[in-house]
Amino acid sequence: MTFPTSSGKVNAVRGVDFDLYKGETFAVVGESGSGKSVTVKALMGLLDLNAAVIGTAAFTYEASGQETSCDLLGLSRREMRRKINGQHIAMVFQDPMTSLDPTMTIGNQLMEGMRLHYKIPRAQAYQEAVRLLKLVEIDEAEKRMKNYPHQLSGGMRQRVVIAIALSCKPDILICDEPTTALDVTIQAKILELIKDIQRTLRISVIYITHDMGVVAKVADFIAVMYAGKIIETGTAEEVFYDPRHPYTWGLLSAMPDLETSSARELYSIPGNPPNLLGDFRGDPFAPRNEFALKIDQRLEPPLFKITETHYAATWLLHEKAPRLSKMGLSALREDAML
Amino acid sequence: MAERDLLLRVSGLKQYFKINRRYTIKAVDGVSFEIVRGETYGLVGESGSGKSTIGRSLIRLYKPTSGEIEFNGSPISGPLGRDTKKMLRTKMQMIFQDPAASLNPRRKVMDLVAEGLDIHRLCPTAAAREEKVYGILQSVGLAREHAQRYPHQFSGGQKQRIGIARALVMNPDLIIADEAISALDVSIQAQVVNLMKDIQRKTGVAFLFISHDLSMVKYISDRIGVLHLGRLVETGDTQEIFKSPIHPYTRALLSAIPRPNPQTERDRVALRYDVHEAGIDYSHGVRRAVSPGHDVLATEEEFRRWTERVL
Repeated sequence: MTFPTSSGKVNAVRGVDFDLYKGETFAVVGESGSGKSVTVKALMGLLDLNAAVIGTAAFTYEASGQETSCDLLGLSRREMRRKINGQHIAMVFQDPMTSLDPTMTIGNQLMEGMRLHYKIPRAQAYQEAVRLLKLVEIDEAEKRMKNYPHQLSGGMRQRVVIAIALSCKPDILICDEPTTALDVTIQAKILELIKDIQRTLRISVIYITHDMGVVAKVADFIAVMYAGKIIETGTAEEVFYDPRHPYTWGLLSAMPDLETSSARELYSIPGNPPNLLGDFRGDPFAPRNEFALKIDQRLEPPLFKITETHYAATWLLHEKAPRLSKMGLSALREDAML
Repeated sequence: MAERDLLLRVSGLKQYFKINRRYTIKAVDGVSFEIVRGETYGLVGESGSGKSTIGRSLIRLYKPTSGEIEFNGSPISGPLGRDTKKMLRTKMQMIFQDPAASLNPRRKVMDLVAEGLDIHRLCPTAAAREEKVYGILQSVGLAREHAQRYPHQFSGGQKQRIGIARALVMNPDLIIADEAISALDVSIQAQVVNLMKDIQRKTGVAFLFISHDLSMVKYISDRIGVLHLGRLVETGDTQEIFKSPIHPYTRALLSAIPRPNPQTERDRVALRYDVHEAGIDYSHGVRRAVSPGHDVLATEEEFRRWTERVL
């Protein structure tokens, strides 16, 4: 996926593959500029018109009783809007204040999607909206229906956004940094809420976040993105307890957890995230990687298979690589943990 | 805590905002704490708890409604005399949340960093001014040639370094860091936090670290204060508060911190806390010492109940 800019093409996403199954939670982790948000925006057909996207996204869903498949990236905007967005894939954005319409009541915003997509009568939509507000644990749901977004607190607004996303019974819920703007106490509640709903409605959830703590709480599968590519993917256990890519080591070590002693210096990944303008040679992480090998300067590593579900893109996993990967990891982790 | 080491004493600080005749927001409602020279005091709390307001009242971006603030031995809560004002404006500095928004895009780094020096006429000659800026840039991990560039030519982490340099050039005793790292990426946050600790070791500056990222606050702070609804509900040594929190709000807050460990994290449910449900009225509570330096806001009965549960 590339974007043309005044100073050349930006290769925001440079080849991303992943599978998402029904009922599963998939988390995409990465720094700003790693391409995580654009990836899901492409799935929703929300990219700017100048974006050039290559690839396919096969999506299987049930429409009027029969199973249908389509390529999300091949559909026109109009088709996306009429058939997919809201009905099958819904999205929760980071900032609930900007994703709600300040001039419409909560109730009308909740009913809007249902009435458009399913053409159900107003009274029925109203009942459904109240039920959804109760589902996301908003007290006095009938009263809140008449409220405007500014009358609610940040946590309540995000609940309303989730209720709207759920109003058309989607198969996939995409949460783009759903709790970054919220406090930890509210964050915990929202995450638990999404989990409960996922269990009862059997939907798949994609999380986009940079908070490893949040990922640990919710994810079944994790993909770590860097410079527009997935550099490590696996189950939550594999990525957290047996990370193989130096960038994942860095991410896990850079965040202090409650056991981190203040006496130690925090491990920080040196340098800055790369600029994706134009092409470059070799592994984009190499300049920041203290375990970089010579080959990293010339050739970008492919994804190496570790287990059936666990893959990482680093030359350290090549059979000819020096066997320091484990040692490097333990040194870094101990640095961060002890 | 010897008297001579005391840098800042805040007692009974209240900051009200009058919205209209009938409605006043009590953003900060009787907060007291102290900061010792060279330490880091962390203020935590949810949004709207008044933590940013406290920082802004201290540096006199607001006029405190009531309460006493003493900084370097001089009262700075009332009208400011000429000398006090000068002392306050040089010895207390602030780093803001959004590094991009806090730097004037039309000025070069050299002038941005030297702005304070110019205003207070601290550098008599142009050469001395330049040398001073170069020295500061170096100490925050930037190079000499960066001085001639404009803010947009820097990354987020570098911009925040410029923000720190601007504060540091005045040789302050206290730096208020209001969510100074929240806008940065995880890998860059660690760089900036390491820099702040390094600077503290070298210059002995004290930090008031305001943040909602509890793991980071725990890492950087010597002591912390937990704010809720404009009141300091618990304060004390960081290790002790994290090990044995007394106040139910602190306990709920600490239990909500997500931890990077999928096996334990998945099934952990955070404690719930609601002031009204818990039936706690903060205005009845007074500061009670749990142990030396560890205070909690509670009534006598609450205090007995909460401490029993822990001990």
